[in-house]
Amino acid sequence: MTGQPLAATAHEVEHLRKRERRFLFSPWHLVLIPIAIAMLIPLVWMLVTSLQTLGETRQYPPTLVPHTLQWKNYSDVLRLAPFGQWFLNTTIVTVAVVIGNLLFCSLAGYAFARIKFFGREVVFILVLATLMIPFQVVMIPTFLIVRKLGLIDTLGALIVPNLAGAFGIFLLRQFFRTLPVELEEAARIDGASRLGVLFKIVLPLSGPALATLAVITFLWTWNDFLWPLITIYSPSHYTLQLGLTTFQGAHQTVMNLLMAANVMSMIPVLLLFFIAQRYFIRGIATTGLKG
Amino acid sequence: MQVRRVIESDHVTGWALAFPAVLLIVIFGIVPIVWSAIMSFQRNNLVAPPVWIGLENYRALSKDPLFKTSVAHSVIYTVLFVPISVAGGLVTAVALNRRIRGVRFYRTAVFVPVVVSTIATAIMFLWLFDPTFGLANWLLGKVGLGPYGFFDSVNGALYSIVGMTVWGWIGFDVIIYLAALQGIPQELVEAAEIDGAGSWGLFRSVTVPLLGPATLFLVVWSTINALQLFDEVYFLTRGGPGTATYVIVFYLYSLAFSQGIAGYAAAMAYVLFAAIMVLTVVQLLIGKRTVYYAS
Amino acid sequence: MADITFDHVTKSFSGEVFALDDLTLHVPDGQFLILVGPSGCGKTTALRIVAGLERPTMGDVRIGEHSMNGVSPRDRDIAMVFQNYALYPHMTVFKNLAFGLKERHTPKDEIKRRVGEVSAMLGLDEMLKRRPAQLSGGQRQRVAMGRALVREPKAFLMDEPLSNLDAKLRVQMRAELKRLHQQLGITTVYVTHDQVEAMTLGERVVVMSAGKAQQIGTPQEVYRQPANLFVAGFIGSPAMNLLRGTVMDGHVVAGDLTFPCGDLGTQDVVVGIRPDCMTPLTGGRPTVEFQVDVVEPLGEQVVVHGSVAGSNVHSGAEEMEEIPLAIEGSRAAATAVFEATSEPSPGDRLRLGVTPERIHLFDAHTGDAIEQTGKWGAG
Repeated sequence: MTGQPLAATAHEVEHLRKRERRFLFSPWHLVLIPIAIAMLIPLVWMLVTSLQTLGETRQYPPTLVPHTLQWKNYSDVLRLAPFGQWFLNTTIVTVAVVIGNLLFCSLAGYAFARIKFFGREVVFILVLATLMIPFQVVMIPTFLIVRKLGLIDTLGALIVPNLAGAFGIFLLRQFFRTLPVELEEAARIDGASRLGVLFKIVLPLSGPALATLAVITFLWTWNDFLWPLITIYSPSHYTLQLGLTTFQGAHQTVMNLLMAANVMSMIPVLLLFFIAQRYFIRGIATTGLKG
Repeated sequence: MQVRRVIESDHVTGWALAFPAVLLIVIFGIVPIVWSAIMSFQRNNLVAPPVWIGLENYRALSKDPLFKTSVAHSVIYTVLFVPISVAGGLVTAVALNRRIRGVRFYRTAVFVPVVVSTIATAIMFLWLFDPTFGLANWLLGKVGLGPYGFFDSVNGALYSIVGMTVWGWIGFDVIIYLAALQGIPQELVEAAEIDGAGSWGLFRSVTVPLLGPATLFLVVWSTINALQLFDEVYFLTRGGPGTATYVIVFYLYSLAFSQGIAGYAAAMAYVLFAAIMVLTVVQLLIGKRTVYYAS
Repeated sequence: MADITFDHVTKSFSGEVFALDDLTLHVPDGQFLILVGPSGCGKTTALRIVAGLERPTMGDVRIGEHSMNGVSPRDRDIAMVFQNYALYPHMTVFKNLAFGLKERHTPKDEIKRRVGEVSAMLGLDEMLKRRPAQLSGGQRQRVAMGRALVREPKAFLMDEPLSNLDAKLRVQMRAELKRLHQQLGITTVYVTHDQVEAMTLGERVVVMSAGKAQQIGTPQEVYRQPANLFVAGFIGSPAMNLLRGTVMDGHVVAGDLTFPCGDLGTQDVVVGIRPDCMTPLTGGRPTVEFQVDVVEPLGEQVVVHGSVAGSNVHSGAEEMEEIPLAIEGSRAAATAVFEATSEPSPGDRLRLGVTPERIHLFDAHTGDAIEQTGKWGAG
């Protein structure tokens, strides 16, 4: 005969308590609904306009519901402007920069985190210092350097200077330092080289940090405007952000097509956001913590 | 044997691993910082060999009326943008920090604008704020306001940009505040409730003080970013109507890349940099006195 | 200045997991009541329901004559001391103490007076300008107590307030708490998992397990007349020895221990013997053969672990990680505590006598105590 079993451990009760839904409708909804509407109106309106005819856009009061959905606006954009080319350019640049950052910042971040080498502290401070300088201070000389390298008006101008950023080095260094150093020591005793330890032990454990870096770098590169504006001149080499600005005609802008183009330019980032929301949020929260 | 030891030494390995990234940062980060400083003392048109002119550029800045206008606009913009977005972010985060139905939908709605690019945002608002056909004027008309010129209006353009950028960035503040709110121990909230604090008392005496570090960060960060406003001005107004939306970075850009007056632009960039540094230090010092940090 | 009543209070989640199961209990004004039990037994839930931090699924809680249904914590006029103290980290000790009074719009001089009184009572005068981060654990604990005292509430609620202190400090604070209660006489509900604390501090004790109150009584009652196996196994340290036994012809037989028990028919029972009832004094008492395994000298006494014939019964109060002692074959683990004059060695076979009036009997199927006539204190 045994005593009575415990109904629930304290841990379970705490967990269940947290999941307890209070009211289905709370007064806070009255605050949140207007906020959500304000946030969504520009996006929804853009979407609606992208499916209207040009005539419908030039109406006042505005046409709230298009007569028919003009999906052909989207194909028109692809036809009338080198939109597909821009999309490709942006993709190439973004993917290259993300890969570059993941690779070079991992190597450097690991070196700063775990390897004692001559001048490590000084160099790290220098790297950090670049984080505090506004882009406008460096953009003119950087332009001149890129010009000297013959990269102006090529995708190289967008890729090469951004292949490794101080943000990534800092992020990964901090993360690597939180991993138990004993794991790496055990691997080295087992015969692995430093590089081997990095690739076989440390990086596999760094999934979240790498994902965060990838997502933030993707976002920043895809959305970048000022640097492409300065370095790219030929329409065939434009990125999406740059290309979108050319839709503004000298006379009246073709709004429905512009909106369709805008929607298309956002899709990859929005998709990535919905898939990897966690990492976006973590990435942004990390900038806050380091601050 | 000696060579092997050297190759495998930590110094070589460390440098080998760090080298690519550090090289890139030196070439495209450190060198430009120094070069820019040098440029600020030159007359440089990006083509001909530069000429050393000492502090000429800086002196010219102090007399340049367009620079003064730009500074005024940047300051007005910052003074509006920072408090509105930070306070708005706080209120929204508090509203979102609840377990009510659909809170995930509301959070997503608030976060999405952050992810959308500055240009894409500007395009949406260009259309939304269109003076003739825009939805905004129509909606405002329904409550008896407007119509407004928004980006076309000399008086309203800067404020329209404030509104638009608050929309685009408030989600950032919300994310930071939400993370900070979730760091407040539940026990503290319960203790305050038992002690007799109402919702407002709790917010004022416990929540806001404990959010001090987050608030300080957001104020510093938002200020730095606000002073660097560019993309939206370039796309929407080109500094206009007239010079109504001329801000520092836009002026800087047009000087360097439209007019080729790069030395002067470099000087302006350094002045901006110095201003940002000073402001940041001042804010951090104020923060040290007033913000409580959990140790 | 108020009594507390639990009226069939139940807290369940989706009707399946019961954190609290039909608790009915009356705490008279001024009593120091202790809720004790292992983690997850519902004691903290019960406390939080009184505080208003959680709502009962069924049943009602009354403070004074007023039902607390739907009353928020701030309107209940109670004060709580949390396990982790929950001091406001950004406020000085003075502000921490004054917070509750300030929120209730108490006039400034009154605040100063009360904080001054409490601060003197608890020895906090030098710390009033410091922040919690600059205080030691014991000092923080006193500030938490002070914050509750300053409010002069109807009742104190304490959630394991001493468990984060080191052992010596804990003993000291226990005495302080007792003294304070004697001085102020405010109704107190105190939660702990430490049965020693429960026994030494409480005027009345509620032993809880799996959301149910297993027994309510004074520490003495709970110790001497455990109502069921759980209480028997939970209260007392070292734990009571529990052996399987059978009743035959008016005698109980458990292993090689036999003793008369009056008319109980024929049934399976569990025999409970506290370790301090098994001593080398064998004259005229039922005896049992005890094989010594491990000897723990404790100054005046010695704790002897070993085995007797028979088999063990689990009370349900065992720690979850308890490793069963390796006892061979048909023997039961047992512990005895007696005077150190006769110091046994491992491997010894002792004959120990058992105090018959202090043998407990429990129904083997229900676990409830079997009433026996002629026992001290038994009804």
